[in-house]
Amino acid sequence: MADVLEIDAQTGKTTQRDYNADELAQRAKDEKKLATEAKAKTAKATAKAALLDKLGITADEAALLLS
Amino acid sequence: MPNEQTTVPLFVAAEVLTAADMNLSAGTGVPVFANTTTRDAGFGGAGEKVLAEGQLCYLSDSNIVQYYSGASWATVGPASAGGLVYITQATFSAVNTVSINNCFSATYSNYFLTIETTAAVVDGNVTGRLRLSGTDSTTNYAGQRIGGEAGSAFATTNPSGTDDVTFGAIQAATATSYALTTTILCPALARATNWLTLTGTNGNNGTIVQFCWNTHSTATAYDGITINYSGTSFTGTIRVYGYANS
Repeated sequence: MADVLEIDAQTGKTTQRDYNADELAQRAKDEKKLATEAKAKTAKATAKAALLDKLGITADEAALLLS
Repeated sequence: MPNEQTTVPLFVAAEVLTAADMNLSAGTGVPVFANTTTRDAGFGGAGEKVLAEGQLCYLSDSNIVQYYSGASWATVGPASAGGLVYITQATFSAVNTVSINNCFSATYSNYFLTIETTAAVVDGNVTGRLRLSGTDSTTNYAGQRIGGEAGSAFATTNPSGTDDVTFGAIQAATATSYALTTTILCPALARATNWLTLTGTNGNNGTIVQFCWNTHSTATAYDGITINYSGTSFTGTIRVYGYANS
């Protein structure tokens, strides 16, 4: 499986290739960023569930309080 | 001499053609000019016909046929390509990244882009970057996203950081429901590029829709775009159109 499909709109030439060194480095940075975001999202969801549990209410009841 | 005529003559062998005959024939034909300057100079001078309503001409530089209304020239054809002009498309299969070079130019200021997907491997996010001479720009992006997921609203500033533009998420199991349209303003002008994007999909936790505004503040004229998928791979079609400037 190639990493990249590259097309030239003027010539119609299509190239399937693997990432070059710069693109590979950028891909690694992107993946690291996404992993950090996913971790933060999970942590937030966990903290939210813990707080609801502590308050003894459901997410729907919490939403009702804030509406 | 007006262009209206009362007959379409048919000349016969050995017939003497008078000046009037020739003027009628030549004057109602379609003269060909190099451009609008030579067109305007071709009428009204000594020995030339006075421009009058109904006159036709053909302009070589723009390959169009025009008529004179009595007040100005107007184009007969060919018909305009329309307000939204197809530029290119990329049909991709099981890749991480699609780069389209030379799809932005000085011909259009604004562009419309669509992404439709038919498959994806592993859930992931779709992002975009402007591109110049085969290299992506990875800085100076900013944006705001609002949307709804399974009935709950959300809003996020810089949802995928400042190194790209967010195009929402694809869930592998429902990849065929992913839809994206984005309007890209001024990517090929040496000024900031702005994006207005609508995406939606049938997500794992319910339906998702989001509206995004993004900007890229680098004042550079870009000629291409890269679409990245953070999952293992995706399959689909990207189409790029230009909005006619006038």
